[in-house]
Amino acid sequence: MNARTETTVSRVSIVLALFAAACGGGGGNNGGPPPPPPKFTNASLSGQYAFSMSGTELCAGQGSLFARIGTFTADGHGNITNGLEDVNICTGTEILQFAGGRYSMDADGRGSLSLTNSTGTTNYSISLVSSAQGTVVQTDATVTASGTFQRQNPASFSNAAIAGGYVFDFKGVEVVGSTVDPASIIGRFDADGAGAIVNGLYDSNIAGTLSGQQTFPTGTFYRMDTNGDGTAFGRGTANIAGRNFAFYVVDAARIKFIGTDFPSELLGEAFAQQNIAFNDSSLVGDYAFLIDGLNSGSPIATSGRFTADRAGNIANVIVDENHNGAVTLLPVGTVTGAAYAVDTNGFGGGLLQWTDTTAGTFSFIFYLISPTQAVLEETDSGIVSDGMFTAQTATPITTTSMAGDYAFVWTGVNSSGDETDFAGQLTLDSSGGFSGLLDSNRFATTTSTQVFDALINGNLTLSGNGLGANTFNVTEVSPADTFHFTAYIVDQNRIFVVCTDTNRVLSGRLTRQP
Amino acid sequence: MNPKISRKRATALLSWATALLLGTAPLAGGAQETAVQGRKTQVEARPAAVPARAFAYDAKRESVLEGTVVGYTEGGQIAPTGAHATVRTRSGDVDVHLGPASYLQANHFSLAAGEQVRFVGVNAVVNGKGVFLARIAQKGNQVVAIRSPRGSLLAKGASRLLTEAERAQMKQQGGAR
Repeated sequence: MNARTETTVSRVSIVLALFAAACGGGGGNNGGPPPPPPKFTNASLSGQYAFSMSGTELCAGQGSLFARIGTFTADGHGNITNGLEDVNICTGTEILQFAGGRYSMDADGRGSLSLTNSTGTTNYSISLVSSAQGTVVQTDATVTASGTFQRQNPASFSNAAIAGGYVFDFKGVEVVGSTVDPASIIGRFDADGAGAIVNGLYDSNIAGTLSGQQTFPTGTFYRMDTNGDGTAFGRGTANIAGRNFAFYVVDAARIKFIGTDFPSELLGEAFAQQNIAFNDSSLVGDYAFLIDGLNSGSPIATSGRFTADRAGNIANVIVDENHNGAVTLLPVGTVTGAAYAVDTNGFGGGLLQWTDTTAGTFSFIFYLISPTQAVLEETDSGIVSDGMFTAQTATPITTTSMAGDYAFVWTGVNSSGDETDFAGQLTLDSSGGFSGLLDSNRFATTTSTQVFDALINGNLTLSGNGLGANTFNVTEVSPADTFHFTAYIVDQNRIFVVCTDTNRVLSGRLTRQP
Repeated sequence: MNPKISRKRATALLSWATALLLGTAPLAGGAQETAVQGRKTQVEARPAAVPARAFAYDAKRESVLEGTVVGYTEGGQIAPTGAHATVRTRSGDVDVHLGPASYLQANHFSLAAGEQVRFVGVNAVVNGKGVFLARIAQKGNQVVAIRSPRGSLLAKGASRLLTEAERAQMKQQGGAR
């Protein structure tokens, strides 16, 4: 049992004791209605899930980027019965099979998870969005990471199931000689259902050097493993955009990738692309975006929103950017030259750009998954940052419409410049107030700090119709801290957040629970 | 409309019109694939990077800063995140950014008031305040590279450059993966 589980058990014991004391002497049924069943139990995590995460590991006495993806099977009763993972760590790449593990879910959807392989046991805090997906933070003393997991569909574990167009976004570092550079690669390809890839296009941004749109070099392929890992775990290998990957299939619409060209390290996902010829008219309406990455090796996170008019014009640009504590809130001056152009080849690539007369130019490349969603890569000098934009609701938002339960994950760096990851759950009331609990892992080479079940409260304060920049302030009771975020409401179920504190960089998302 | 995108869009529209005339406009689904394979995949030129808008490290502006440490913190409340030293120079006190504290600790590098130091880096403005972004820090005979020659912080990437022998040693030391 890890610290997270022990703490949870203690809390539950206290609550049960208080409940028993309150009910003691009642002499039987007090006539009240039965309490509602818990929203989440161990049975909520049941089946086979694919996960992916990236973070910082302690290696040779210092922090080092790493990534892991894989799959685990939960039995609905607190046991991990099977699984496999690929890791890309400072000593190389490895494939490790899980011999077992444990998990424990709280009623609010938070829980602890441990995965055991031949090298030992790794520990995680998870927050379920639903029984089909959740967020994860690694909580070991020498490793922190954050990511997501989704229930797999084994019916998609075949080459034939992977067919049609896919849009991808890979992020990490590329090592050439003695140079380690931040890297972002986005693009699209068609899988033919038999292991071949055609119509591959990509744009890379390596330490600010842009490739321009490129076709895939020769040697591109995808292939489910034939040694049993393919059919059992949904694992396969691929060559995409000239790089080698292992992948795990979530379902035919979503695949998780990890780069295997060690010492380079890439992590990302591919999403099934809608089968249409994209053009400028594909983009219409309001969009919210969230990207993160590095600028000259320093962390940067950017969130915002814009409106596209289906004719190449952009309006109503609002942006919050935190670049290693340097905070830029757009518009500062006047936004000019706001425009986009979808590539004429119909494959969904395109350009997006605007200039703030004070803050400067923001330039992006995107690949459309559909008219309502795209991967997005910033292309301004020195900045290597990527993520997604997604259609934003046109319906005015109120705190009443946003009330409910949310799972969340934030990642970034703290004031000392080291990675910090948070996962938790909160309940928003109809006035915008909220309370909840979070787990965190604050990395350090000397003593990393894991905090479990930290009480949080705060307020979501909407501005105007709620579709612009909103204020989301979070107070952590112990250790005492206050986080100031700007929140961009995507719709009634999703919120993007970026921290505007000057002593840290954090970004993440909140997703409504059922 | 932004001139760069405007130029590109004009070209794109021309290409689209030409394609329509030639009957090769991209179509949805399988037809699209056939059309594209038949005429070779179209690859569009992307725009060059625009000038940095934030405090990106510009190696062309590097300078040397020497002085005496009057303050040092590994987790300050000011941007950029990371360790900062206040260094007294002939022209006044300068805030020097040294990147993640954990990286400095791993390299057994710390500073104390009164120590003589030398940095190579660039001056920048962050949240309206001047800061010297150090690429190389030197105290006595101890020299630590904080950034790559292109200015990227080495903090989390340095361990990707271990030798084979170092990797083998690390692997032998174990730890759950």
